[in-house]
Amino acid sequence: MTQILTIFWDSYRLLTAKRLFWVALGLSILIALLYASVNVGENGISVLFGAYEWASPGGIPAFLAQYIYLTTFTNVLVPFWLGLFAIVLALISVCSVFPNFLESGSIDVAVSKPISRVTLFFTKYLSSLLFVGVQVLVFCVIVFIAFGLRMESWNFGIFWAVPLIIFVFSLIYSVAVLIAVWTKSTLLSLLMAFLVWGVSWGFQAAESFLYKMAYTIPSAGLKMDYSTGESEQSDTPQELDPGLAQIHRVVKLVAVPLPKTRDATYLLKTKIKINGKDLTQKGAFLAEEDDTSMQNIHKAEEELANRHSESYVIGSSLAFEAVILSLACFIFVKRDY
Amino acid sequence: MSIAQVTDAVIDIEEVRKKYRGGVEALRGVSLKVPRGQIFGLLGPNGAGKSTLVKILLTIVRASQCRGEMLGKPVGDQATLSRVGYLPEHARFPEYLKGREVLRYVAGLGGVAKADAIKKSQELLEVVGMEDWANRKMGSYSKGMKQRIGLAQALVNDPEIVFLDEPTDGVDPKGRLEMRAVLNRMKDEGRTVFVNSHLLGELEMICDSVAIMDQGQIVRQGTIAELTEKTRRYEIGVMGALGSEILGKLKTHGVNMEADRLTMYHQDAGEVQPVIDLLRAADVTITSMTEVRQSLEELFMETVGDKGPGAAMPPKLPKKEKA
Ligand SMILES: Nc1ncnc2c1ncn2[C@@H]1O[C@H](COP(=O)(O)OP(=O)(O)OP(=O)(O)O)[C@@H](O)[C@H]1O
Ligand SMILES: [Mg+2]
Repeated sequence: MTQILTIFWDSYRLLTAKRLFWVALGLSILIALLYASVNVGENGISVLFGAYEWASPGGIPAFLAQYIYLTTFTNVLVPFWLGLFAIVLALISVCSVFPNFLESGSIDVAVSKPISRVTLFFTKYLSSLLFVGVQVLVFCVIVFIAFGLRMESWNFGIFWAVPLIIFVFSLIYSVAVLIAVWTKSTLLSLLMAFLVWGVSWGFQAAESFLYKMAYTIPSAGLKMDYSTGESEQSDTPQELDPGLAQIHRVVKLVAVPLPKTRDATYLLKTKIKINGKDLTQKGAFLAEEDDTSMQNIHKAEEELANRHSESYVIGSSLAFEAVILSLACFIFVKRDY
Repeated sequence: MSIAQVTDAVIDIEEVRKKYRGGVEALRGVSLKVPRGQIFGLLGPNGAGKSTLVKILLTIVRASQCRGEMLGKPVGDQATLSRVGYLPEHARFPEYLKGREVLRYVAGLGGVAKADAIKKSQELLEVVGMEDWANRKMGSYSKGMKQRIGLAQALVNDPEIVFLDEPTDGVDPKGRLEMRAVLNRMKDEGRTVFVNSHLLGELEMICDSVAIMDQGQIVRQGTIAELTEKTRRYEIGVMGALGSEILGKLKTHGVNMEADRLTMYHQDAGEVQPVIDLLRAADVTITSMTEVRQSLEELFMETVGDKGPGAAMPPKLPKKEKA
């Protein structure tokens, strides 16, 4: 136990010694405060603590205000700041951890201690996740407090972002670690991590787009004429295009072994609930009672957001991570230093 | 060697072999016994396999073949490592940690309880003369200061054996002197010190016994006295040139003449007396007579020769002839 704590303590010292960590933390806090400055109230929306306001004549009911406030978090801040920039900064900061650790003269000290190499490897790996962990936690605390004070509702679902973002980061980082123990090169491991991330993001985005074309649009009752670019809205679901569905199936199949970085980030929407309804249930918050076509659209969108089960997203990603880390651990354990 | 000595060897290995990936045979059947409580020096030219041997004992490198024990446990036993200290060659410690924290870090990895680690670190910082610098980061240290911290960290778990791979690398003469004092102190505390070095003069001053390694094999082993004994010689200094007549006589006594110094290889001073009589009879002024033991360096050069660095390279495969 002393040994594991020591490795974590060392990682903590390492990250607080990095300027990039403080830069990223500063930016995180700034963005979170910017978010906190937004108010969605009965009279409308204001930003920068009331410096700019947009009045909403009809007024905004409380649950809708909460919905708008939280979807800003889940659809903008989480995917773009936490899920993209914060992860990029974290990767740049920690991708040198393993190559430095593996340098001769440094690894010798660690592997000559009474601790198994497997424990050493996984502890070092897990302790590198501290970087994003701290960032996301601080961010979520600010968001949680801002939301709580403004809406007078303490939504603990916000904190689901912490494990989800750490998980997404750990997926990308596992690739960096594999390349690092293999080649000991920081640059190569960073490049490969970005490459795998980019490719899997591309497949997930393509799969999502194809699903939208093949299923969401027809079942929302939209009829697209791709030659003219015109669309027609009807109250009844349209027929599915079997060709598109086929392409979607192929892309989805190819994406199965890839890490679901994008999908996992969006899982957050199913985890945050307002009055018992999660954020993917758009119809519950936005639809007019009597507008059937609108209801159809919301239903189709809800279906799109929930097309993958949680166990598929997490499970297939975990499988990916397990394979990559086992390989990395194997190399780490077998190598002569 | 008596039974007691055999059982009290802290390291007792036989037929250790290591072939690295890529085919370099770094160790070719090394057998070694290191008695408890001694300062033991492992000498050898660059690439002889010294570091490889130490790394095998510390599980950093896996031997291709290894029989034997360290501290009574088979080589590679994980728990034994808590009783061993190690300063690697070209040691590198996290730059972002302070000197004191490096000691705590190494102690922690070694499983030393926090309170003990704090106490021991303070003590060791004083021993290596780094207490004034203890609260500065490693990144701001000079090479020699890093090496001092390196020496301290090797002792932080109160080890029974301390392995030091080129410990005086980058340390100034004063630092070396202090380091020798630290090594002697370790010995006085009952620890076994295993030093890898090619700085022979240094080893000669502190080691109780040495082994000379070359191309992955131990070529000589014993105490320094034992190893240099066999080549004891006497040197007689004389004044002025010697006549050809006396020179001829001296030759028959097996004397080598070199400038104003006569050298003869004898185990016993008695055998030198006739030569002195001869010189005195010829009225030659004798300025000195000294008993000289071969220095470790001479022994080393004699043993290892000038084959150049490197382990035995794998034999090159003959290129396939085209039909
Ligand atoms: N990790 C490794 N992979 C492949 N070959 C290695 C490795 N480490 C050492 N060798 C080779 O093994 C041989 C012995 O190296 P070693 O470092 O044990 O020598 P040494 O006696 O410590 O030399 P020096 O005095 O230069 O430190 C050398 O030929 C070296 O090239
Ligand atoms: Mg060496």
